[in-house]
Amino acid sequence: MSAAILGVGTSFFGKQQASHPNELMWAAVNEALADADDPQIDAIYLGTVFGAPGVAQRGLHHLGLTGVPIITVENACASGTTAFHEAVHAVEHGRFGNVLAVGVEKMTDSFAGAIHPESTDPEGRSGLALPSLYAMSATRYQQVHDVTAEDLALVAVKNHRHAGGNERAQHRTPHTVEQVLDSRMIADPLTLLQCCPIADGAAAAVIGTSSGSDRSVRVRSSVLQSGGLWDHRSDHVWGFELVRDTANAAYEAAGVSASELDVIECHDAFTIGEIVTTEALGLAPEGHGASLLRDGHTEIGGKQPVNPSGGLLSRGHPLGATGLAQIAEITWQLRGDAAARQVDGARIGLVETMGGGVAGIDGNACVVAVLE
Amino acid sequence: MTKLEVGYGFVVTTLPDPRPRIRDDAESPTLDGSTCQACGLHTLSTATRCPDCRGELAPATFGPLGLVWSSTVVRVPVPGRTPPYPMSYVDLVDGPRVLCHLSGPAETAPVGATVSLCGATADGDLMAEVVKEVER
Repeated sequence: MSAAILGVGTSFFGKQQASHPNELMWAAVNEALADADDPQIDAIYLGTVFGAPGVAQRGLHHLGLTGVPIITVENACASGTTAFHEAVHAVEHGRFGNVLAVGVEKMTDSFAGAIHPESTDPEGRSGLALPSLYAMSATRYQQVHDVTAEDLALVAVKNHRHAGGNERAQHRTPHTVEQVLDSRMIADPLTLLQCCPIADGAAAAVIGTSSGSDRSVRVRSSVLQSGGLWDHRSDHVWGFELVRDTANAAYEAAGVSASELDVIECHDAFTIGEIVTTEALGLAPEGHGASLLRDGHTEIGGKQPVNPSGGLLSRGHPLGATGLAQIAEITWQLRGDAAARQVDGARIGLVETMGGGVAGIDGNACVVAVLE
Repeated sequence: MTKLEVGYGFVVTTLPDPRPRIRDDAESPTLDGSTCQACGLHTLSTATRCPDCRGELAPATFGPLGLVWSSTVVRVPVPGRTPPYPMSYVDLVDGPRVLCHLSGPAETAPVGATVSLCGATADGDLMAEVVKEVER
């Protein structure tokens, strides 16, 4: 592919009730534009889930971003990465020159805790909040595979330790396995510190064609898929097959294999999510993802660090912003700009985001991008 | 009319009820659903075509027996519900996978346990009870 990331930016991620969504966007977009040397922007894709109608135009016109096509997209937790994916392919196909991808979510205006289940959905209407969907995966893994409560906790311990080096992350306090397991139970077996906190935030990236400069990051591939049916015929936990299939398509398009990845940001909305996802990405065989945590494979300093930013568990999860924050993190890592959390010698990185909430399918959308 | 508070701080009305359709005129409750005439898929979908192959659907009833596929206890506040409450994905015998609340104490059910549909909760959610633990 010829598309490249020319600049990235993010706001702080955390509970920022006093901040207007515009201000979150301005922080992210101004940083991304400056990072890309203020190019002309020819189109904008913006991802949000709970954003007010017109959230994109309401914020962006203050920055002089007017008179160009603005397209708002929604794909649950993968909304920001969907905006990125569309921007990449718009550039790739020559539809636009430079495209701005933005993600924004002001969650504290809508929720104090877990996102309310969707009442038009059969499972949402039955009271299945999203933590419980992941908890179902965790229970299944504990009883069918070799995954202990301590293994689950290791994801939170690792990612919170990583977040110590990320001043934009909401929760930077290190935790022990005991502290993670002793925190309040949310949906058995997932405790509070195994669930991503809600957050307010925005993130942005400028996509164009590679300038050949040291600072641009090449998009080797970007693939978006929505889930197939997930029902009694599947022995896999929810989402596994969608992430696996999307990743395999992204590897094929990029001409790389899982073993070549140097650094990964993936969807650790809940601890079990990272274990299942690292398996689906091919870093470990199915049912053996916990071994990556036990032997340090996925921590900074290990062979393939996962979520050096601290992930959703530490950063918090403003739905529309998350995917572009992952893109920003991998961009910084590949440039060598990640300071205290830098993965030494990172050359090929991967971003994976998974959006869910629709009963009956394996996921609303998954995006996997391979960057270099 | 069912009124539910949803995530935007105001109350909306959502009809029709999208949850599984419980048939409770028999001795044990069953669910109204469909079986595809072309590919044989069992589904609780109310759409007119098979969600897998778009084949013709014929009415079918499923349950009451099934096996626990996985389980959890929801302990966070959810609008219109009082936590904690146990839930399970159940693979109905010769039927689809369906989300059920579990009767009894707030604890998870073991994967593979046999359950039987037993009606609806006070909130109208499908409910099942464990009738046989896992055979080891």
